[in-house]
Amino acid sequence: MKIEVKSWKDPVLLAAVAPLAVVMIAFFLVPLVMTAVLTFQTTQYYRLAWSWDLKIWTEVFSKPHYWTIMLRTVVMALVCVAICIAIAFPAAYALATRLKTFKTQIQILIIFAFLTDAVLKTFGWILILDKNGVANWLLMHVGFPPDALNLLFTPAGTMIGMVYNLVAYPMFTIYLSLVRIDRDLVLAAYDAGASRLRTFFEVTLPLSRPGLYSGAVLVFVLSLGAFLEPKVLGGGTAPLASELIRQSFETRVNWPLGAALTMVLIVTGALMLGLSSAFALRRRSAPGRPA
Amino acid sequence: MNAQRFRNALVDTLLVGTVVLLLLFFYAPIATLVAFSFTSSRVLTLPIESFSLAWYGELFSKPDFLPAVRNSAAVAAVSTLFATVLGTAGAVAWIRYRFRMQAAFRALTFAPLLFPQLLLGVVMLLWFSVLGSWLGFSNGLFTVIIGHVVYITPFALVVVAVQVYGFDETLEDAARDAGANGWQVFREVTFPLLWPGIFSAAIFAFLLSWGNFYISYSLAGTARTLPIFVYSGIAVGSSPIYPALATLNLVPALLLVVTAEVFRRRALKRQSSGNPAS
Repeated sequence: MKIEVKSWKDPVLLAAVAPLAVVMIAFFLVPLVMTAVLTFQTTQYYRLAWSWDLKIWTEVFSKPHYWTIMLRTVVMALVCVAICIAIAFPAAYALATRLKTFKTQIQILIIFAFLTDAVLKTFGWILILDKNGVANWLLMHVGFPPDALNLLFTPAGTMIGMVYNLVAYPMFTIYLSLVRIDRDLVLAAYDAGASRLRTFFEVTLPLSRPGLYSGAVLVFVLSLGAFLEPKVLGGGTAPLASELIRQSFETRVNWPLGAALTMVLIVTGALMLGLSSAFALRRRSAPGRPA
Repeated sequence: MNAQRFRNALVDTLLVGTVVLLLLFFYAPIATLVAFSFTSSRVLTLPIESFSLAWYGELFSKPDFLPAVRNSAAVAAVSTLFATVLGTAGAVAWIRYRFRMQAAFRALTFAPLLFPQLLLGVVMLLWFSVLGSWLGFSNGLFTVIIGHVVYITPFALVVVAVQVYGFDETLEDAARDAGANGWQVFREVTFPLLWPGIFSAAIFAFLLSWGNFYISYSLAGTARTLPIFVYSGIAVGSSPIYPALATLNLVPALLLVVTAEVFRRRALKRQSSGNPAS
């Protein structure tokens, strides 16, 4: 890989960087700043009033209702991370080390499912999880009592939807870090007499850590914003933060409140991101790590 | 030794089994939708007694979903173009160049990937509403397109970046040595070599935009795209025309993926026959 050092005066660099940078600044960075600014305003008669005070923040911090929902959102996100990693790791490992013949086809199938409209997939889950749905019908036919499962409109239904929509992310990141592992390291461990299991835990697993961390963080931050799943599959019985945000915009027309709740979620996600990358960096520089 | 071999076989089976189960998991809701779109009954429960195309007929007898299809197609086409071009340029700058403030550029262009779509949509909605009240416009398809470009460009960038990373730059040097100028090198060498990545990025971008709900929902104003149409439909009640509509929605995506795969194989074949050394 040849790397060219470029100055900002170089028109080629400017052409490559400037348009994208402008789009991202104008429609991503500025909106973020705007959201932060809006949290210091208030509404009067359903209209935004530029008042510059902390009224919204005192409201947000003084109402336990918000914090119960925020806490629930974070707990759901953590559970989702655990389930996603537990599914994604063996699947990515199988894809990286076994299944040589059908690898491309499987990858295409996964990508296709991943890119299919989330509304459609969620709709499909309703038809499966419904009391008279496909899952119960199948269970009944293998001998379970009718209505064995009652998952639609429960937090479990929400969780199935969240895992479904997010599990592909850690699969990709873990797969990418697994295929980058130098095969010689694994063979060297075998030569040195290590068992398969020991090689896995002392060579493969530590080296796949970047993929594990980044996959886990992605699932966490993305599940903070889960909206369709709690609404459509959870039936609104256990609302998550997204529902709170939607209500403050649509029902209550209180933009500063919606902005403040959005900022709380963003800060939560950013904190988790910072924490895990700090942790990953510390692990990397920790002494005694097998080189 | 036998026990060892048995254990290895067991591990292999378990691992392959996970992938098979995962694929079943991924396709269960999609297959269910497709199956129910062909039912002749009005209620969406099993068993499906007989198959018919009745709901497709019903769907087309009242084509109020067509404007939504048109909107989705327009949004996806324009967003794909912008996201692919911006993503390709960004990928080259990410991987091949070193410049001041590159870390900031990378963070800025990668960050939308780390945002839940709903929050991305809300943040942009706030900005467009403020901007709209200053400049006197209201949200519509063009704000959806801007939202999609912001959301999708990082995906396109990552896909192209993988291609840029594996790029053999000695080919460019060779072309330059043979007397090609900068533009010729780009047109004859760089672009064709990056094309597979750019092409996959475009397909990725199109499908992400075509199926996008969250950002469209936040930014569409009164306009409707296909996912918004389906969402409001399933909220009203599950009529069997919605599985039919959903199945139709899968068709362009399927066609694109199949075309892409055919192209990829052909390119692979050409590469291996034209260049035996690699």
